[in-house]
Amino acid sequence: MSELVHPYHRFIRPTVTHSSFCPGCGDGTIAQSILRAIDGLDMDMDDFVFVSGIGCAAWIPSPLFNADVLHTTHGRPIAFAFGIKMGLTEKKVMVVSGDGDLVAIGGNHLIQNARRNIEMVVICSNNGIYGMTGGQAAPTTPMGVKTTTTPYGTFENVFEDISGLVIAAGASFVARWTTGHPRQLTASIKKAIQKKGFAFIEVISQCPVQFGRKMGVGNAVQMLEDYKNRSISIQEAKKLSKEELKGRIVVGELVDLDKPEMVEEVTRMRKKAMGGAEAAVDTGRS
Amino acid sequence: MATLRIYNELCKGAEECGICLYVCKEEVFQPSETMNQKGYRPPVIVNEDQCTQCENCMIFCPDLAIVVSEKKQKKGSQ
Repeated sequence: MSELVHPYHRFIRPTVTHSSFCPGCGDGTIAQSILRAIDGLDMDMDDFVFVSGIGCAAWIPSPLFNADVLHTTHGRPIAFAFGIKMGLTEKKVMVVSGDGDLVAIGGNHLIQNARRNIEMVVICSNNGIYGMTGGQAAPTTPMGVKTTTTPYGTFENVFEDISGLVIAAGASFVARWTTGHPRQLTASIKKAIQKKGFAFIEVISQCPVQFGRKMGVGNAVQMLEDYKNRSISIQEAKKLSKEELKGRIVVGELVDLDKPEMVEEVTRMRKKAMGGAEAAVDTGRS
Repeated sequence: MATLRIYNELCKGAEECGICLYVCKEEVFQPSETMNQKGYRPPVIVNEDQCTQCENCMIFCPDLAIVVSEKKQKKGSQ
């Protein structure tokens, strides 16, 4: 009688004995959703190049995944991913990082590459705080919450709609899920991998240690329950007014468009220019 | 073959995390007193017969510490 073996342990780097997340962290669920999507598409880790920045969510591909990974400087994973995609056009590039990395510090890279619509998958784990460095207030921290850096409560307006920003910038696929929807998240990641264009998935993820416990929101289970109660599908949300949607999390595939993709455009332009150049320097030699 | 397996050394505790206990509708898991090497207390499987193999615990587990065997009907349909 053989013992059961976890089907996704083969994707984990052999030197990694355990994940580096706190107990109950949502990033582990996101990691498994990514692995499920890759396995579900019958793809291999060699088809991918993962890029991550700095933060808790950046620990998902590096060192957990047994693949080619770039662990880059703070806020710059999309800039690195852009370079990789331009050089290795046949590879799938996936950026996995947190809200503090992609939106707060590397915000302009996110906007500009969504505008370029370059083919890559960006998964943003949004836990609403700078978790790894000790629970400082991030732009995504809700107003009035007491954090390490704001002992009397945050006084800044919260960055509510990251997905909205990426939609406005011109990405061709945008989805938002919470860690309470791992099955739907896996389906969206599958679509995002196959999408020709900039695919952005925002995952609202629980941080039970820095966010939940310190702010009195509760542990991992209470936070998951809260996501379950607050989330509303995009189809349902369209029927409701703005006031009714206050405090709710709109989940679903928000945008799925077909737009000109940058790598394809560059290749076409290069062919066009090369064709012209070859004709111009034709010396008659074979 | 068993339906369920918990990797006790990967688990980060039913008390600290406890997501498997929350997502399981059939109450297959229960907190236990046994400690693993890292000092967490992984849950124990109490009613394995009740398991419907919905894979919720496996999908939600942040530490890839639970495996559920595939459904038999699924294998037959393929």
